[in-house]
Amino acid sequence: MPAILLTTLVAPLAFLITDWFTQTDKSALFAFLNRTTLLLIGKSLLMAGLSAFFATLAGGLCSFFLHKLSFKWNRFYKIALVMPLLISPYIFAVAWNGGLHLVLGNDASIFSSAGVVLVHSLVFLPLAFIIIGSALSQINATYEEAGLMLVSFKKMLVRIILPLVKPAILISFLLVMIFSLSDFSVPAYFGVQTFTTEIFTQFSALYNFPLAIGQSVLLLTICFAIMFSEAKYLSDSPFFTISLKGNTSKKYSINRGKGFLHLWFWFLLFISLVLPVVLLTIQSSAGNWLIIKKAWQLLEPTFGYSLGLAFTGTVIITLSALWIAYTARVYNSKLPNSLMMIIFVVPSTVSGISLIRFYNHPSLAFVYGSFLIILLAYLGRFGFIASRIIANGLKQIPESLMEAALLAGASPVKIFFSITIPLLIPSLLATFILSFILCWGELGVVIMVYPPGAELMNIKTFTISANAPLALTSTMTLLNLCITCLLIAMFLLTGRVLFKKYSYAFY
Amino acid sequence: MHFIELNHISHNYQDKFVLNDFSVAISPGKTTCLIGPTGCGKTTVLRLVAGLETPSAGTITINYKIVSETGRIIVPPHQRNIGYVFQDLALWPHFTVRENIAFGLKARKEKNIGNRIGELLDLFRISDKTEKYPHQLSGGQKQMVAIARSIALQPEILLMDEPLANIDTHLKQNILEHVMQLQQRLNFTMLYVTHNHREAFQTGDIIVVMNEGKMVLKGTKDEIINSSDRFIKSFLEN
Repeated sequence: MPAILLTTLVAPLAFLITDWFTQTDKSALFAFLNRTTLLLIGKSLLMAGLSAFFATLAGGLCSFFLHKLSFKWNRFYKIALVMPLLISPYIFAVAWNGGLHLVLGNDASIFSSAGVVLVHSLVFLPLAFIIIGSALSQINATYEEAGLMLVSFKKMLVRIILPLVKPAILISFLLVMIFSLSDFSVPAYFGVQTFTTEIFTQFSALYNFPLAIGQSVLLLTICFAIMFSEAKYLSDSPFFTISLKGNTSKKYSINRGKGFLHLWFWFLLFISLVLPVVLLTIQSSAGNWLIIKKAWQLLEPTFGYSLGLAFTGTVIITLSALWIAYTARVYNSKLPNSLMMIIFVVPSTVSGISLIRFYNHPSLAFVYGSFLIILLAYLGRFGFIASRIIANGLKQIPESLMEAALLAGASPVKIFFSITIPLLIPSLLATFILSFILCWGELGVVIMVYPPGAELMNIKTFTISANAPLALTSTMTLLNLCITCLLIAMFLLTGRVLFKKYSYAFY
Repeated sequence: MHFIELNHISHNYQDKFVLNDFSVAISPGKTTCLIGPTGCGKTTVLRLVAGLETPSAGTITINYKIVSETGRIIVPPHQRNIGYVFQDLALWPHFTVRENIAFGLKARKEKNIGNRIGELLDLFRISDKTEKYPHQLSGGQKQMVAIARSIALQPEILLMDEPLANIDTHLKQNILEHVMQLQQRLNFTMLYVTHNHREAFQTGDIIVVMNEGKMVLKGTKDEIINSSDRFIKSFLEN
C-alpha cells in the first residue's frame, strides 16, 4: 500500500517540486515572488484567516451548546448543522452571489470578498463543529465533576474544559484556514481574485506553466507550514470518530436561555441552508419552465456517469482506508497514514496541477486520459478522512476481542472477517456515506483533471456558468442541490437502520 | 520438571521493564495465584504464557516443551491449548451466548458442537440465555459465559486475569466456588491473577507474590501469611 500511494499520489507532488526546481530558466525560479503576488497572498491569507476565525467561533459555540447542554431538538440541530459540509461550496456561492446581485445590483461586487468569507465561514462551520464537538464529547464526565466540586461552573469551563479542547480548536482553525485558502470555486463565482484562482488562471487559461508551478510550490509550502505545528494531532485525528454507545460525557440541563439557543440555531440554519435554497429558487424562477427543462436536459446525461464515478471512488476510498487503518493497527505501520495526511493537506488546485504534470505522459495516458485520474483525485482528497474514521473505529474495539478469537484457534483471516469487520460496520458505513457525498460534490481537483468526454454534474454546472444566464446556472445548481439532498436523505435513512442494527457497546 | 516454567523472563513495553529476570515454575492440575500491587507484571505473565506477548529475554516451557524464547514465539497461542478469561471478559458483542461459545469449537472444526454447547450451558446454569447478546446479560451471567467459552475447548491450562474484579462479594463467592469445583472436576492447571490476597488465599493451592516485575515469594497460603518479608507484610495489611 505505501508503494502504491507513493507512486500514484506522492510522486506527482515530488515531480511538481522537481519540475519547478529543475526548470531551464533559473532566473524564473522565484519569478512569482513579486509585489503583486505577495499582496495577493496577504489578501488570501487574511480572507482565509477571517473565514477560519468565524467558522471556529460559531462552530465552537454550536459544539458547546449541542454537546454540553441538554435541550429539545438537540439531535435535529446536530444533523442539520452538518449538512452544508456535504454540499459542494460552489452551490452556496451561486446562491449568495446571485442574492447579492439581486439586492444590490452592480454594487454587489463591492461586497464580493465579504461574500467569499461569509460562504467559507458557513460551509466550513460544520467542520469546526465536528472537530470541537468530538473533543467535547470525549471529555470524561469525572474531570468536570471533580472540577465542579472545587470551583464554579464558569471557572471549571475556563480551567478544565477549554484547555482540554484547545488542540481541537487550534486544529479546527488551521484546517478551515487551509481549506478556505485552497478553495477556488467560491472566489471564482464571486469574481474575487485570490492566490488559488490566480494559479488556476495561470495554469488553465494562460498556460503559463512555469509561473503556475512556482506559485503552486509556494502555496504548498504555506499549507505545510500552517499544518506543521499541529501535524501530530492531525495525524491521529481523534475528531473523525463515529462514537459508540456508552459515552461518558457530561451534559448540563438549563432552565434559562433555551429561547436564545433555538433562535441561534434557527438563525444559523436559516442563513446556511434555508436562505441559499430560497435565493436559488428565486433566481431560477426568473426564467420559466423552458429553463428548467433546458437545465435538466444539460444535467441528465451527466447523472449516471457522476453517480458511477462517485460510487467507484467511494469503494476504492473505503477499501484503501480499511487497509491503511488495519495495517496500522496490526502491523503498526504508520507510513501510509502519514502519506495520506500529506496528500490531504495539499490544496486542490496544486493537487490538480501535480496530477496533470505527472500523468500527462504517453506511457501514463491510460490514467491521464481516463476516469482513473478522477478516481486518484478522489482518493487523494478524501482518503485521509476515511482512513481516520476507520482507524478510530478500530481503536474502539478492545484488543482482547481479537486475542480471544486467536486463542480460540481462529486464523487471522477468520478473525478479520468474523470479528473485526462486523464490529467495524458503523465506521465502515459512515466512511462509505461520507466518502460518497464528498466524491459527489468534489470540484476543486476534478475541474482540472477531468479527461475529455467526462461529463460530471458539478463540472457541467460550473463550466456553463461563465456564459449562461444566471437563471440557467441557478436552476442547474438547484437541481444539483436537490439530487444531493435526496442522496443524503437516502443514505441517512438506510444508514440509520444499519447503524442501529450493527452498533455495539464494548464494555 | 514442572508443567509451566518461566525461566529468567524479562519483558518490556517500549522502554519500561515490566518483568525483570522473572522465573516461576507451576505444577500441573493445581491452582496458582499471582498476587501483587497494580503494575507489578501479573497480567504480563499471563499474556506471556498465552503467547500474546513475546519475551524480551528468557524461555517459557509448557508441558515440557519450549513455547517461547527470547524475541520469538515458537508455539502460537491457539496451539497451546489454553483457555483465557480476560479482565474485560472480551465477549464478542455481535455474537449471542451460543455463538460466543461455539466460535472456538467451529474454528477447530470440533464434532458434536451442539451437544458440547448444551452441556456447558447447563453446567453454568445459563441454558435460558442461549440466544441473548452480551449486553442483555447481568454481570454474573457475563462472567459465566466468558468462563464457559474459555473451557469449551477443554484446555489443559486456564488463565484468569482478575475476572471477578468488578462484581459484588456475594456473586464473586458463588462464581469462585463454581470455578474451583470445575477445576477439581476437569483437572486443568489454573493460573489466577488478582490483587486481592483474600481471593488468592481462597482459590490458590500455591501463591506467587510479585512486586516490580520480580517474584518476592512463592508458597502456600500459610507460608505467605507467616512470611517475615516487609513487602509481603505491608501488602497483606493493606
